[in-house]
Amino acid sequence: MNASGDFRPGEVFSLRLCAFLGLIVVALAFLAVSLWNIQVARGARYDDDLARQSIRRVRLPGIRGMITDRNQQVLADNRASYDVALYLEEVRQPGPWTRTIDHVEAIIADLSRILLLEPEVTREDIQNHRLRRLPLPLTLWKDVSESTIARLVEQGSSFPGVDLTVQAVRAYPQHQLACHALGYVGRMDPPKEDEPYHYYLPEMEGKAGVERQFDPVLRGEAGGRLLRVDVSGYRRNDLGSRPPARGRDVRLALDLDIQAAAARALGEVPGAVVVLDPNNGDVLALVSSPGYDLNTFIPSISVDAWKALLEDEQTPLLNRAIAGGYPPGSTFKPITALAAFNQGRVPLDRVYSCNGSIQVGNAVFRCGHRSGHGTVGLEKALEGSCNVYFYDLGMDIGIDPIAHMAYAMGLGAKTGIALDGEVAGLVPDRAWKLRTLNDGWRDGDTCNVSIGQGALVVTPLQMACITAVIANGGTLYRPRIALGTYDAENQHFQAIPPEVLNRVTIDPPVLRAIREGMRLVVMSPTGTGRNAQVPGVSMAGKTGTAEFGPREARRKHAWMIAYVPFEAPRYAIAMLVDEGLSGGTTVGPRLQALVAALFAPGEGAG
Amino acid sequence: MNWRSLFSPFKRLDPFFVLATLGLIGVGLLFIYSASYRAEEGMLTAMTRKQMGWALAGLAMMFGVARYDYRALMGHAWLLYVGGVVLLLLVLIAGVKVYGAYRWLNVFGIRVQPSEFAKLGALIAMAAYLAHPSRRLEDPQTMAVVLGLCGLPFLLIMQQPDLGTAMTLLPMAFMLLFVAGVPLRSLLVLAAIGLALLPLGWWIIDDYQRERLLVFLDPGRDPLGAGWNKIQSEIAVGSGGLRGKGFLMGTQNILGFLPRTVAPTDFIFSVIAEESGFLGCLAVLCLYLVLFASGVRAAWRARDLFGRLLAVGMVSLVFSHVFVNVAMTIGMMPITGLPLPLISYGGSFMVTTLIGFGIIQSVYVHRITR
Repeated sequence: MNASGDFRPGEVFSLRLCAFLGLIVVALAFLAVSLWNIQVARGARYDDDLARQSIRRVRLPGIRGMITDRNQQVLADNRASYDVALYLEEVRQPGPWTRTIDHVEAIIADLSRILLLEPEVTREDIQNHRLRRLPLPLTLWKDVSESTIARLVEQGSSFPGVDLTVQAVRAYPQHQLACHALGYVGRMDPPKEDEPYHYYLPEMEGKAGVERQFDPVLRGEAGGRLLRVDVSGYRRNDLGSRPPARGRDVRLALDLDIQAAAARALGEVPGAVVVLDPNNGDVLALVSSPGYDLNTFIPSISVDAWKALLEDEQTPLLNRAIAGGYPPGSTFKPITALAAFNQGRVPLDRVYSCNGSIQVGNAVFRCGHRSGHGTVGLEKALEGSCNVYFYDLGMDIGIDPIAHMAYAMGLGAKTGIALDGEVAGLVPDRAWKLRTLNDGWRDGDTCNVSIGQGALVVTPLQMACITAVIANGGTLYRPRIALGTYDAENQHFQAIPPEVLNRVTIDPPVLRAIREGMRLVVMSPTGTGRNAQVPGVSMAGKTGTAEFGPREARRKHAWMIAYVPFEAPRYAIAMLVDEGLSGGTTVGPRLQALVAALFAPGEGAG
Repeated sequence: MNWRSLFSPFKRLDPFFVLATLGLIGVGLLFIYSASYRAEEGMLTAMTRKQMGWALAGLAMMFGVARYDYRALMGHAWLLYVGGVVLLLLVLIAGVKVYGAYRWLNVFGIRVQPSEFAKLGALIAMAAYLAHPSRRLEDPQTMAVVLGLCGLPFLLIMQQPDLGTAMTLLPMAFMLLFVAGVPLRSLLVLAAIGLALLPLGWWIIDDYQRERLLVFLDPGRDPLGAGWNKIQSEIAVGSGGLRGKGFLMGTQNILGFLPRTVAPTDFIFSVIAEESGFLGCLAVLCLYLVLFASGVRAAWRARDLFGRLLAVGMVSLVFSHVFVNVAMTIGMMPITGLPLPLISYGGSFMVTTLIGFGIIQSVYVHRITR
């Protein structure tokens, strides 16, 4: 160094200065490599972390398809429900949560005055919403009226963050009609999924009837919405959404007009009506009385209303047509006849003498006609519903062919109609009695079954099926509740074909005789079903009066089955009144009303 | 005097150094804007405006200082040093408490951070001491005095407490000794003693600093408390990917996961990394490399040892800030409240850094021309 301190030429070079620069270069290179590792090599992992903490998936329920009758008249549809909702991210207050909650309460109070609605959301609800569903709007009032909407539109502009949201809710324009067949919907539990959503919007699922059986078809595809939330959990913006897909429509076999006529004909009494098309098993009407208005289940049924339905002695929730088990009474007699005369087991011209009762063992079995029918053949026995004829006929052939024929006609087994809650009923036979009562079969048992009493249990639907088999000459169809499903989007109709459960071979002369006997039931002035006569309409039928209850307080189920027109049957009908005087007097006029409606000019059904 | 003569001293400035400085300040303003952006505030946020003011003031001082001969500092070194120490004492007595530490002094309503000025004072004092013509570098006494000069402000800054800022004094002192030519053996002994004493630091540092250290060792510890910034910063950096999410599009910052209080300051590099990706980070690191390399060039071409040491000390000071800040942002070092030079929001640090750069440029301007 010289005196001024300047470097001398030899001192300028410094290895250490090079080392210093080298250290800096190495350190910066180290940082660059680390950054590459984090941002490029392992970037995806951090993307996942980022998504996990700031992205929320919301499930958007699919839109349920419609349910229509066979002529595409709407039975179940969706309507728009307008809710008043508050977007919390727009009214958030800085500072502790209580300030935001206070603010929300104040907004609700102000809105309540303007909309003339009592607040429905409590402070607790707001707190729960904040903890569980903060990024979603808070619903303040559900399904508000048009006048409320008008008031909100007029005066709501001074409320930032308040808006109307639209929900599709189920609507049943026919209210009570076909309620048992349609079933109802209820709130669905969040589905278990591989990639669960963070939030679920209320979604309906079918809980009974067609709504339940066809739920996977009706439901459609759930959509989704991606939200971005900030560090406090408020919604920041939407990242995108996949709209939910509408479910397929279900076109029922029901005919709204026939259903309405059947319900009207039955009236207010507890009972059931089933109308089938004997040519393919289509369920044209399925009535159970009493019913309920399906709209009380929307958006959800109140606890009180549900309790009332459950505790009602007339069991409105029971679908009597498929879930009600009744003894068939005399409507069973055609089956006894078929069992006896088919394949020549008993000659068709066999006659028995009726003097009002017969004695079997120690028991006396009575005929409905106390003074007796005299000597009767098959047709007269059916027309007058002579019990003694069928006691004798039954004892002549024994229980086995009767039970066999009953099974062949579909009794003792579910028809497999696409509705829930169907019961199988019961056909008693030797094995059954041994199994359940540990007792041998007796002639008395055969007498009872021959006239549709004893342990025999059937449903109105099963009796309608049997009527259809007699009407079409031997084919047992599975009752078809739906014709098919329809995709409104691409107008694709997928048919549900008719299904044959069994073909019963019936000798034509036997069939002719039974049909004639059944024709006389209605058409003859002395027939038990003459009350059902409709001028100008030829039909065949059979009445039934089945006793039940304790011996000292006997009550009667009143039945009638019928098919019409006689020559080329289009309708097979079973009608039941839970408690009546007799099939002829209680059901006859009701059946008459139904058939008259079916053939009334301009009704379309004629 | 015509305008040419007014600007003639600037002709000798190092254009690489000046451009890198301006570039980094520009990057800083952009991302302070992004980190403090609110839709309602419009084009310029209050933070961006303030930072622009500080940057302009700092640049004016840098060019001003560059015009004067740094050799004049040699005579006033002790004065600057004592001034810095007095300021540090003042801050302990009359400082403003922010986030639990007394680091700021109120001067006519402006909050300044005396530790930044004190570091500059310490640098000048150490350089002047080492460069004195009578100094014998082999003498252990020389090293002891330098360590003493460094130790006093170190301990005072630790008292605030501001561990990060205090720590940057140590590599600076070490590099001054190294470049000045202290024998390697002495330096190795010094480094060994330093490393041996490191565990003792555990008892010296505050609880919150211990917590930061524990969080660094175990990221799962207290993820919603002390670990939050570290985790969120890493997510921001990592999710930036190769190209980033775009300017003003960094969701970690927008959604508040990266807290608003630290995004424009200590964690500004997270915002840069998230929005501009690896390529943007690389560009920023390259600008720093140009800056450091031209700083070292100034040291290389310095007229005398004092100038060389001033340049080396300043480069080493800024470099330790850059390294520690970036390493902390990407989770490779414990969290320390060190800002990123020229980029992080903050007035005192911007101005003192640019004054230091002025000194480097003064060294370069007054270089030996051959």
